[in-house]
Amino acid sequence: MNPSLHGRPATALIADDEAPMRDLLRARLASVWPDLTIVAEAANGVEAVELGERHRPDIAFLDIRMPGLSGIEAAQRLYARSHIVFATAYDQYALDAFEQGALDYLLKPVSAERLATTCARLKARLSAPAPASASTSALAAPPQDIGRQLAQLTSLLEQRGKPDKPAYLRWIQAQVGANLRMVSTKEILFFQSDEKYTRVQTAGTEYLIRKTLKELLDELDPDEFWRIHRSTLVRVDAIAEVRRDLRGRQMLRVRGHTEELEVSRNHGYLFQQM
Amino acid sequence: MRASDINRVLDFVRDAFNEASRLWWRFFDWVAVVEWRQLLLTWFFVLVFFGLAGMDGAGIWYVFISAAVKVLAGGKRKAELMARDATAQANVATLERRLMEARMAALQAQVEPHFLFNTLALIGQLIETDPPQAARVHAHLIDYLRSTLPQMRQRGGATLGKQVELSRAYLAIMQARMKERLQVRFDVPDFLGSAPFPPMMLQTLIENAIKHGLEPKIAGGTVAVRAHVVGADLHVAVCDDGVGIDPHADDGVGLANIRERLQLLYGGDAALDITTPPAGGACATIRLPYKMMEAA
Repeated sequence: MNPSLHGRPATALIADDEAPMRDLLRARLASVWPDLTIVAEAANGVEAVELGERHRPDIAFLDIRMPGLSGIEAAQRLYARSHIVFATAYDQYALDAFEQGALDYLLKPVSAERLATTCARLKARLSAPAPASASTSALAAPPQDIGRQLAQLTSLLEQRGKPDKPAYLRWIQAQVGANLRMVSTKEILFFQSDEKYTRVQTAGTEYLIRKTLKELLDELDPDEFWRIHRSTLVRVDAIAEVRRDLRGRQMLRVRGHTEELEVSRNHGYLFQQM
Repeated sequence: MRASDINRVLDFVRDAFNEASRLWWRFFDWVAVVEWRQLLLTWFFVLVFFGLAGMDGAGIWYVFISAAVKVLAGGKRKAELMARDATAQANVATLERRLMEARMAALQAQVEPHFLFNTLALIGQLIETDPPQAARVHAHLIDYLRSTLPQMRQRGGATLGKQVELSRAYLAIMQARMKERLQVRFDVPDFLGSAPFPPMMLQTLIENAIKHGLEPKIAGGTVAVRAHVVGADLHVAVCDDGVGIDPHADDGVGLANIRERLQLLYGGDAALDITTPPAGGACATIRLPYKMMEAA
């Protein structure tokens, strides 16, 4: 199949989770490129892939931020058959990536001039005769190139939220009545194991959870919580002071709570700077 | 002896013991940090004094114990004491920094560029296809910016009524964008409108509900805002039936900032609770002492 402007009108898919944005793009395309047939409109990434695979449009206009699958994820499934044009309102990271690569993109709200330029380029690519040696693809750049760029873009956008740390546990779930209380680790002063349960202490409340201290130790950020005793994990930011009692034991006090926590000999090294 | 007498004696013994241990540690700390030269000087005076008083033994014991403490534990204890001082200073510095940061963050514009660009894009589109709707969204945006941008924020905006008004403007804009994917329910009795409520907290919770709860969900859902008085407290809850909370996702600066500001404003009397109801989604509830009016 060699999509061409000469045989039949070109086809396109529009995917955006916001209906007004789809309306705008459709209206603009109708005036800039009257021959283009919009074969399908999708309201999320999953639908975009589904409709894209069913209708095999020449062009797929994909919003980047969509529920289900992002536009970039959807593009990875569709780029072999359809020419991809991304649309975004504000996303500096993505824009930088687009500028470096050969991917097409539109800034929302889509202006008529910019869309006209993009459409002219799309028309040129679609009507260009496919190189004899190449596959049936209508793309100017080889598909593996586009695929590589999409993969780079995906990892770039994924990394940005969480820079270099692995995903540590940030919320502790504690049953309170019928509801599950989500306790942010930033609120927690210390964990203490209490037979079958683990006691979770915040400034104002105490919760009991079923997770063992060992499990917590594996899942929490080791820079956020220190183990100071076989049965105690303490939030580093909450430590107020460490002192020695009459028996020479190190006792630790946290801000926002009166209880003193024993530091066992094995962990005493934590507090022996100087 | 009766039980009360025994208790009194025990109390006295305990007090005496505590006092003795306090004095001992004070002496211990003093010996640890004092210069050797000064310690030698006290030895001389103590020996002379007790010698004159005919109690050589006490003077020698003093010299012996203080020398032993100084030699065996002095260096370590001194380091500990210095570390404690340093920690105390660091604590004060940290607290001051946190206070400043919380104030700054609250003052800064909290309008997300994403939201602004998308809304402007929407208005631009509606001008062509549905001008009356464009005018409505435009008016909502102005209401929203007026109460959100710090330069524009008026005094006296810190009531629940004002905060609900601002949230309605925001939600109306989001509804124009998300259409049937966003339903909104308000359950805020009129008489609570005058109750003091810190600015931008309700707003942050609603933005979170949409951004993390409903936007990622294909079908969308409902944001419900509910305010009621429980005992002496005002409870304001924002609930959504979205995708819920990922226990590995950072809770973000928004929630941390609310907690910090509640702590600064109300001490331990206010709290932010996050729950996930059995039916799914997430609920964030701010509890704070209820007052009917702002203090004059």
